[in-house]
Amino acid sequence: MSREEAPGEEGFREFEDFLKHWSRRDFVKRMGIGAAYTAFLAGGVEFMEACANAGTGNPTTVTPKKGGHLTEGTISDIKTLNPVLTSDTASSEIVGLLYDSLLNLTANGDLRPLLAKALPQTSSDGLTYTVTLRDNIKWTDGSPITADDVKMTYDFMFDPQYKDVNSPRRGDLEQYVKSITVKDAKTIVFTLKSVYAPFAVNQLQYGILPKKLWGSLAPKEVNTTDMNTGPTVTSGVFKFQKWDKGQQVTLARNDGYWQGAPYLDTFIYKVVADSVAIGNQLKTGEIDYGQIDPSQFSDLSAQSSLSVVTFPVAIFTFYAYNQNSTAKVAQMFSDKAVRQALLYALDRQGMADALYFKQAVVATSSMPPISWAYNKDAKPQYPHDPAKANSMLDAAGWAKGSDGIRAKGGQKLSFTMITNAGNKVRENSLVAMQDAWKQIGVDATPKLITFPQLVAQITNDRSYDVFLVGFSWSAEPDQSALWHSRNTAPGGFNGFSYKSSAMDKILDDAVATLDQNKRKQLYFQMQDILNDEVPAPILVFNKGIWGINKRVQGMTGGDFGLGTYTQFQNKAWMRTTFVSDGK
Amino acid sequence: MLARYVVRRAVASIPVVFGVTLITFTLLHATSGAFVPGLELNPNLRPADIIRIRNNLGLNDPLPLQYWHWIAGAWPPSFHCSGGLICGDFGRSLVDGSPVRDHILERLPNTLELTITAILLGVLISIPLGVVGALRRGSVIDNFFTFLSVAGVSIPSFWLALLLILLFSVSFHAWGLPWLPSGGAVNSFEGGDPIDRLTHLILPASCLAFVYIAIWSRFTRSSMLETLSQDYVRTARAKGMSERRVTYLHALRNSLVPLVTLIGLELPGLVSGGAIIEIVFSWPGVGRLALERALQYDYTMVLGLTTFIALLVVIGNLLADVLYGLLDPRIRYA
Repeated sequence: MSREEAPGEEGFREFEDFLKHWSRRDFVKRMGIGAAYTAFLAGGVEFMEACANAGTGNPTTVTPKKGGHLTEGTISDIKTLNPVLTSDTASSEIVGLLYDSLLNLTANGDLRPLLAKALPQTSSDGLTYTVTLRDNIKWTDGSPITADDVKMTYDFMFDPQYKDVNSPRRGDLEQYVKSITVKDAKTIVFTLKSVYAPFAVNQLQYGILPKKLWGSLAPKEVNTTDMNTGPTVTSGVFKFQKWDKGQQVTLARNDGYWQGAPYLDTFIYKVVADSVAIGNQLKTGEIDYGQIDPSQFSDLSAQSSLSVVTFPVAIFTFYAYNQNSTAKVAQMFSDKAVRQALLYALDRQGMADALYFKQAVVATSSMPPISWAYNKDAKPQYPHDPAKANSMLDAAGWAKGSDGIRAKGGQKLSFTMITNAGNKVRENSLVAMQDAWKQIGVDATPKLITFPQLVAQITNDRSYDVFLVGFSWSAEPDQSALWHSRNTAPGGFNGFSYKSSAMDKILDDAVATLDQNKRKQLYFQMQDILNDEVPAPILVFNKGIWGINKRVQGMTGGDFGLGTYTQFQNKAWMRTTFVSDGK
Repeated sequence: MLARYVVRRAVASIPVVFGVTLITFTLLHATSGAFVPGLELNPNLRPADIIRIRNNLGLNDPLPLQYWHWIAGAWPPSFHCSGGLICGDFGRSLVDGSPVRDHILERLPNTLELTITAILLGVLISIPLGVVGALRRGSVIDNFFTFLSVAGVSIPSFWLALLLILLFSVSFHAWGLPWLPSGGAVNSFEGGDPIDRLTHLILPASCLAFVYIAIWSRFTRSSMLETLSQDYVRTARAKGMSERRVTYLHALRNSLVPLVTLIGLELPGLVSGGAIIEIVFSWPGVGRLALERALQYDYTMVLGLTTFIALLVVIGNLLADVLYGLLDPRIRYA
């Protein structure tokens, strides 16, 4: 896990910053080429920069410059600046810059203390988490951040008297938390109902609100207060300046930030039409960095003013067979041979190459390869093998009819597949699947609907045959949201109705196990079962792809650089990022 | 007389506006799909949370009650204003809880800036084009204008917009020429001064004006041709009046009357007309807001916007009727 920090180590932290900029590999490289190192000391910065740029991104070889602005291009405007209410990525990104949380993650997904002095102390029975706050943390008005602020923030999401607050976190907290108590001004204790291993990662990363301003609000006012659109007192690396709806959010440097002020004067979160516009504005320099589509990778990589950074993420695209007993395809899809054969028939590597322009990784299990719980040997595997798919279907009694479509007992192997219109990669995935399955005598028809309709189909209506959608795992390996039978209830994401008591037990045991090695074994079992059952196969894991203007420095590399778990909600690199021209 | 007429018309408009709200409300709720808090599929969002938040937002209430909430805020009705249409906040957005009115007021100036500029450009360019076309009927220049206007009507505006961005913004930048911003209404950093606004306005306004020019120049041309064949034009010529006076004093003025009606029809389009252009150019206007929120099933926002535009149409029509009467004494208000 991540290192713990003792208080009052400002000097040491500066040294850490220095090390952070000099990732270990660069450091070794530099030790090896002493001449170049001397040249660097003598001012041969450009030479060193050329060496370093052989890696990824824009490693810092220039002395950080204070001042200037950084503009991120995004396609979705924020919805709220209230950390208790956020449920979308855009809002969480800005909230994360305005309000510090107790803990956050490194680029690789390790927990590190933020407002907390150290990672929470867990009692031997695993039921209580004691969080001690740092001494030097303060709000932008200069007053200290205390355990009362933390308590009030969690009360909004947990205390029954705040049920009218539209927080999406209440269900999880009510399920696992028994009480939250303030021990003293700097100490707060979370007592759980039962051992729940994902607690710290999932529940201790919410931004903390100042009680002084929020404490007097009635529950309903928390949903509508002006502070949701224009916060006045915050704690993060930047202060709120303005939100021009539909245009941009502008933040300004928090000079009194407890970790030390950032280099940048201004951060701008600029809303543009789509990823094409992001590409255009990266080229013209109207934005400094932004997330781009796989299709833009080669075009933007060729731009001399830009560097493109990629890294694995836990976002994935999957399709699901509807196994609800009421669905007309339930009988067909309850046949494991059918589910497996259909997956064998897909050329997923071909899809990753063609539809994702090689910027995606074929899934070998339900766990992202970056996770500590990833089982690289999960069995069985599903390489592209149409012959095997054909023989499996033959053996299962699905014989080809005169029209070339397989059927069994009068039921044709024929169904529709839904996804949301407008997402080109998903639309094309369905076409590729239709084509691949046609080769083995399966008639699948793509159908495009709106995204809210798709969500309603998955979580409530469930009258589809097959759906295809994207989903994302957190840094926690718990995958109950998709595979646990309790989430087949209306509103749950197990909308394909995969029910297995063995799976439920593994998932429940895993979250009740604190020993990481034991948990890992359980998740290895989970991956084997899922690879065998394939209730909802994952096609590929995506990559995070960012285009960055070369004037931006200090953003990538190291534990806190732009990466898997530091690209959206948690921009730990914002404090070390600067623009080389100082503008 | 006139005042009584206006008051009576205004009162008669109230049921029209409510009719619009009722129809929009019914249509919205008749479509499949529903507002889901946190549209992204988020593994940490529990079914219970979705149900509770939908309850808090009143989305599980009976439809007539939901409609009443949007109209009048709270139930039972109280004397102090508790939100809703009749209090003038046009409802509260489901997505962010803020009054729809605030969103409209924030976006409206941007939209008006874009559409009014486009209409002005359209008028200033299309009339001369139409006149020249009519005076030089069948000439090379007339054929060229005809080609242009056919192109203007048939080229999809979003496609034209993308090409303009690619040329004047991305390519000009790459070639080291002075380039125009590819989107937005102002520079995101230290923007907002008049010059900055103007440079951002050029591409989207031209794009939007292109369609107006295409239609109105054809209209001016045919209207002009018709007027030029009128008896009074021949009489004017017979009197020995100069061709210039005949064209501009007699023919043009009279041929413009139908065009004024046509441009008047664009008034509701002042608010909604540029939606596609707004989207391609990331222009923070009302049209883009409407589309974004419709895709998120933000019912109250869509209702509020529709009602607002309906109000504009009603007011526009009323104004037009009053103006007709002032211009033409034969029309009486009864």
